[in-house]
Amino acid sequence: MAEMETLGILDEIQALVCDKLQVVSYKWLSRNFLVSSNAAKRLLQQFTEKHGSELEVVYSVSGWLKNNPSVYHIRLVSRPKLPEAKGEFDDNCSVHVYSVQVCIPKDPAALWNAEFVQAEELFKQPPTVVNCLRDNRFCGVINSFVKRNPEATSVNTAFLQAKSAGAPSSFRNNSAHQTDTIPLPQHKKIQQSSPNINLQSPNVVKDIKSESHVAGARDQGSKPSADKEKDPELPATKKIKGASGTGGSLASMWGRASTKSNPISATTEISDCAPNSVATAEAQIFARERVENESSDDDGENVKFKRASNGEGSRKRRVVFDFSDDEDECKDAVSLASPDPPKSKSFINPQESSKSAVLQKNNLNFVEQNKDDLMVKEETNIESKKLFTKESVVSNDKESGIFSSDKIESCIPQNDAVMKDEVINAAPNSPKRKKVFKTRIDERGREVTEVVWEGDEAEKKPDSSTIKKSDNGSVNTTVNRPSTTKKSPAIGGTAPSNPAGKAGNRKAGNKDPKQGNIMSFFKKV
Amino acid sequence: MAAMEVDPVNNHLQRKQSHYVSLDENFMIQKETYRGQQYSQIYFARLDLMRTLIYSLLPNWKPYLPVCTVLDLEEGKQCIIVGTLYKDMKLKPSILDEYSKERSATPLVKPHNFTHPDDYLILEDESGRVKLRGTVLSPSVYVTGNVVALHGKATGAGDYLVEDILEAGLPPQLELPYKSEEDKYVVFVSGLNVGSNSSNPLQFQLFVDHISGHLGDKKVQSIAAQIVQVVIAGNSVEVPRGLLNGQNLASKDQSRLSEPIKEVDILLTQIAAGIPLDIMPGPNDPANFSLPQQPLHRCLFPGSATYNTFRSCTNPHSFDLDNVRFLGTSGQNIDDLEKYSEANDKLAFLERTLRWRHLAPPAPNTLGCYPFTDRDPFLMESCPHVYFIGNQDRYETRLIKGSEGQVVRLICIPRFSETGTAVVLFLVIVVELEKSRMPCSQFWDPVQLMTT
Repeated sequence: MAEMETLGILDEIQALVCDKLQVVSYKWLSRNFLVSSNAAKRLLQQFTEKHGSELEVVYSVSGWLKNNPSVYHIRLVSRPKLPEAKGEFDDNCSVHVYSVQVCIPKDPAALWNAEFVQAEELFKQPPTVVNCLRDNRFCGVINSFVKRNPEATSVNTAFLQAKSAGAPSSFRNNSAHQTDTIPLPQHKKIQQSSPNINLQSPNVVKDIKSESHVAGARDQGSKPSADKEKDPELPATKKIKGASGTGGSLASMWGRASTKSNPISATTEISDCAPNSVATAEAQIFARERVENESSDDDGENVKFKRASNGEGSRKRRVVFDFSDDEDECKDAVSLASPDPPKSKSFINPQESSKSAVLQKNNLNFVEQNKDDLMVKEETNIESKKLFTKESVVSNDKESGIFSSDKIESCIPQNDAVMKDEVINAAPNSPKRKKVFKTRIDERGREVTEVVWEGDEAEKKPDSSTIKKSDNGSVNTTVNRPSTTKKSPAIGGTAPSNPAGKAGNRKAGNKDPKQGNIMSFFKKV
Repeated sequence: MAAMEVDPVNNHLQRKQSHYVSLDENFMIQKETYRGQQYSQIYFARLDLMRTLIYSLLPNWKPYLPVCTVLDLEEGKQCIIVGTLYKDMKLKPSILDEYSKERSATPLVKPHNFTHPDDYLILEDESGRVKLRGTVLSPSVYVTGNVVALHGKATGAGDYLVEDILEAGLPPQLELPYKSEEDKYVVFVSGLNVGSNSSNPLQFQLFVDHISGHLGDKKVQSIAAQIVQVVIAGNSVEVPRGLLNGQNLASKDQSRLSEPIKEVDILLTQIAAGIPLDIMPGPNDPANFSLPQQPLHRCLFPGSATYNTFRSCTNPHSFDLDNVRFLGTSGQNIDDLEKYSEANDKLAFLERTLRWRHLAPPAPNTLGCYPFTDRDPFLMESCPHVYFIGNQDRYETRLIKGSEGQVVRLICIPRFSETGTAVVLFLVIVVELEKSRMPCSQFWDPVQLMTT
């Protein structure tokens, strides 16, 4: 029986080497056919005796050199050079077949490739799977004291572990299929579920799994997410803290005042805005920052939030170029997102606007992030929010990080007009007036953040243009609150905007039809 | 296909075990804060501790001489002063000059020697400083940061003419245990530089296969089964520096950044699955820059960090293995000494640091260092039995002896990516004469991997 199997293996080796031109090393053989390395060496020896004449064989010679007995050498030699190499070694050197191949590659490292690809495949399996790479079962020397704990030592590390484990595959996936959008929604979903983890994790896992299978994406994201039920709380809480910490003061009040779920739902909703946002580096950066913040022990919440806003800001800038430099066009751009329930919309803006408010800080901070953050790069198109659920389970993949970036990003391509629309729609349903930040790009390409009171839906759109022109450099938002709704957007809008921008606004021609342009006076003349 | 059990299970060799105790707490920075602390505090801590030490040695050296502070020096009177050496170097690069000349990101400085015949030494204690003269004290040997005691007298010119010098000397050493029945190996490797052009993955794979016991016949594998510890002394990964210039990273560049560390993780998994592994950060690794470098984060190694054999350690790293004390760094301290002083070979630098009882005297002057306020972690409290330095050009080793019977094995670990050489330390203790015990790490087997 064993002989038959041996013959079968030998035939397979023959096929691999001759037809597929693969380098078959003893380690590759042992892992592929699940035999111990010593057995694999014997198999290769048998194979070379049978078929070796037409193939190249590489031997490994290890032992002490004759002329330098204090140095232990391990050398790979091809068959023709074997006798010579053996002569240099002591008599009791060990020789065995290392690999068989059709021809010896010019670069010796190519001998290693097939083996490494196999090791990588085994490595990328979910951490709970014990395979021959992980338990070293085919080795000649075993160590019974080695213990492996896939959950690692802490929740955080497990979180990161799965994340990074998921990274290569998802990374590959993304690079392979640029337009593969499925992993993203999967991640997004996971992200959002963070606050509600405990309740719905099983469902989430299932959904994610099915999604990933459907998508054809590797299912690494899904499995680790199942393990990370403890983690979802962390990102959720951190997110909230971040919102309160770094956003504008008003946004922070908002963050603290609202319930825990609000920011999360807000962010989740954001993704609904733009189904077809283009993946950019900022998404990854934000995701990476999220990952990093969750993983590191630093007080990264505020930083994370800041960086998120940075990323968003730069994304915003890019978006401006994508659409047009003309501000009118920006205003008139139609939202590609399907309308969201107004209530949820209202939550989005503080989050977003607060982020954008903090924009200016440091665009390039994220670049110095840990290199180890294997962030998934391209976020392909984000699917519409139908894939979006509020189920829990935070995935520890990078993908989950990406999700958050996607959320933001999805909103960004939509111009402020869109956001305003949403806010306007949301306003009537809100029980009380809430201050909301909106950011826009004015006609000079600068970012203008406006503070808008909900409940002023009617005035918002027209007022947005007037806001720019407003001369009130220093906006006293507190004054606005008791004032009429009409006034507040005008005044509030200028508060966060760049004073230079405002000056520019004043100088540049204002294209708002409703308000007269001071330059028009001169033009007529 | 079902697994073919050609080998009976009980034919496997069992790996030897050993008792490991980590002594890295001294090098861990628990709460890293930068509240504006100055480096004077670490200097003061160093001076304080070492001066106490040296005072205790003075009675054995020259008890008849009075000890005085720098300000109390009287002209012509023989006395002893204790303080920190400062070396005034003409060629020492100044950051302000570099900044004014070019404001781009600093390229890797080519390490060359900054010594100059005109360098001179100054001794400084908390009261003042005095320039040192004399032929006994050679400025090319010493660096800023040494704490020494000097015997001499003040001259009329305001200098101090040195007649003799006392260093702290080797710290006390714990006795070695008796000979153990089993022969055990410890493998040192450094400078893997995965991701660089010079690294050959096949070489490292052969190394991994050998130490884990895949390669070779039964005899070779039985040797491999005696390896009880692997120490990777820094520079495991080389990140493409061109990507880190502050620009946004394109997606494909991000993969280039992370591929090397992922490859290292796969390879380390193969090691950690069988042998206890210590990995130290090095100058090129994704760890902090200033000494003591903190352990590489576990999230960098998602595959290997799951093993209980995997330990991420600080740089410098100290541990006890079967009561044999090891101490080593990834090479930054010795490389810095090489830039600012001269010696015949690298091992001379190692010996000097031992005799000065300080791992990195140039920290924080020329070697980046965390601004400790209350202690100096680089002071050696006890003498190691094995002292290793990673990322050197060649493999070198020597056995040195101290004045109180300390014996230390010094090892320079070569860069694996360039030489393909790892160092195997054979832990055998021989009882020599009934009275003294010395570590017999004489049988050295550097493992050299070569491919055709």
